[in-house]
Amino acid sequence: MGALLARKNLSTTLYSILMFIIALTMISPFIFMISASLKTTADAFDDPLAHIIPKTIYWENYKTLFSSPDYFIWIGNSFKVVVLSILLRGFMVTMAAYAFARLNFKGKSLLLFFSMSTLAIPSDTTVVARYLMYKYLHMLDTHWAIIIPAIFDVFFLFLLRQFFMGIPKEITEAAIMDGCSHYRVYFRIILPLAVPALLTMVIFSFVFIWNDFAGPYIFISSQEKQLVTVGIQYFSSIAGANYSLQMAGASIVVLLPIILFTFAQKYFVQGIASSGVKG
Amino acid sequence: MSIPRQIDADLSIEKKDKRRRLSLDKQEARAAFVFVLPFFIGFVIFGLAPFFYALYISFMDFNSFKSLDSLKWTGLSNYKAIFHDSVALSSYFKSFYYTVIYVPLLTAAGFTAAVMLNKTFHWKAFSRSLFLMPYVANIVAISIVFTMLFDPFGGIVNTVLMKMGVENPPLWFAGSGTAILTTALVAVWANFPFQMIVYLAALQGVPSDLYEAAEIDGASRWQRLTRITLPLVSPTTFFLVITATIGSFQNFTIFNALTRGGPGIASRVSSLNIYEEAFSLNHYSYSAAQAIVLFVIILLISAIQWGGQKKWVHY
Repeated sequence: MGALLARKNLSTTLYSILMFIIALTMISPFIFMISASLKTTADAFDDPLAHIIPKTIYWENYKTLFSSPDYFIWIGNSFKVVVLSILLRGFMVTMAAYAFARLNFKGKSLLLFFSMSTLAIPSDTTVVARYLMYKYLHMLDTHWAIIIPAIFDVFFLFLLRQFFMGIPKEITEAAIMDGCSHYRVYFRIILPLAVPALLTMVIFSFVFIWNDFAGPYIFISSQEKQLVTVGIQYFSSIAGANYSLQMAGASIVVLLPIILFTFAQKYFVQGIASSGVKG
Repeated sequence: MSIPRQIDADLSIEKKDKRRRLSLDKQEARAAFVFVLPFFIGFVIFGLAPFFYALYISFMDFNSFKSLDSLKWTGLSNYKAIFHDSVALSSYFKSFYYTVIYVPLLTAAGFTAAVMLNKTFHWKAFSRSLFLMPYVANIVAISIVFTMLFDPFGGIVNTVLMKMGVENPPLWFAGSGTAILTTALVAVWANFPFQMIVYLAALQGVPSDLYEAAEIDGASRWQRLTRITLPLVSPTTFFLVITATIGSFQNFTIFNALTRGGPGIASRVSSLNIYEEAFSLNHYSYSAAQAIVLFVIILLISAIQWGGQKKWVHY
């Protein structure tokens, strides 16, 4: 019995080590990126596998990066767009989701079906039409071309509706019977109870909008209004052969969502699991 | 005397209740209007209108800079032109080829990772979060890394391969035969965590007594996987395959970051060609027509997949 247990322990330990090695392989591009950003280009590329943890840390790349005004402006622009999109989206989508989950009105299911069916339209199909529309609405080359369309997101409407439907009906019905208005029920009961779902939306929105390339690439043309995901591509062409500087630029863009993700992983996983299984 | 009065009182309460119900219903309808209308207006303008506008443009002659008032209806001529345009036609085949590589690999990778993680072992939470990280990676930034790693001359991957004795290592993104394949591999790396999480959730739903019974009956590990797990998660697989297929045609960002359609036009998939036609050549109508055709192709493939589900999906 003891021997069997010991063998089981051993195999669990071996399995754990194997899984850890595979996990490290998965993130090896990140490791390589950060490692190269902390070396000179010569050190990073002459024998890249020799010193994954650099012997002496070379900070010049980050110093150069932080003294480049464009890079900061791009990061700032991206933050502005992400925060405004999330706030406005959070407001619009939760209101509509509350109505779809809890209120009865004419044409409700037809409307929901209609909105859901647009999820099947690929964004490439409408890119020309959107470009021309934004042009006539004078939205081109402004951050609103990214923010406003992001507000009316059907995917999150559906996700939050599912969540709101899971909140016990008795709670809200009792409040309504006691003379509470729907606005109060939405603000005081539903929103506080929906914090986990809202966090799921916030973290997903952050990652998707931060990482979006096609939107800013097509709709924003001035360099000083550009967002960082497109900016990093300019930057890498300016940095040219200075590969480790490019790596430093990439590191910051990659690491910000990863840091956020590390703190809010639970909501991220729940979000994917619920959207996937129910969808 | 007291009894009719009681009835009277009851009636008036009922009346009051009814009136209150009515006003509640009215209040509900009004609230619904206020809650839904802002979203709905925005959705119509920014979600629905672009699709119909794209359809409209695809029938016009907006193929150079000109004002919108001077546009003319040209019927199907933009659509007909696609069939005489070998670059456009081949771009659809390239997109299809990419999907055929990407979707099975992605699904297999997600499933395998989920099965491997669905055990008890040490540092499980930590290893799992490392597995998830590629999904939040900024694909444009990480493409800079992949371009360097897979540089055919002097990149790490080929340096290592040559040290191991491979004489002619592949050209990866720079090879006309390997550019789409290599891009698909990077896309699988970046997107498998989504499939993995969904599969993990599905695996939790497989009752463990089924495995116990199978083990008693002497089923091997492989048999348990193929005879129990796979059929039981087949609805999840179906959902993942359908959504991954639709998503796989929207590959502008990753191709633009990794190959820009090159070498030559070897990896110019449909999404790249649509952007090229619209934003480099100002062929707006022609580009819109190509985009609508792409949409129809995606719909057809989804419909075929939908029809085929009876053969292998067990609900």
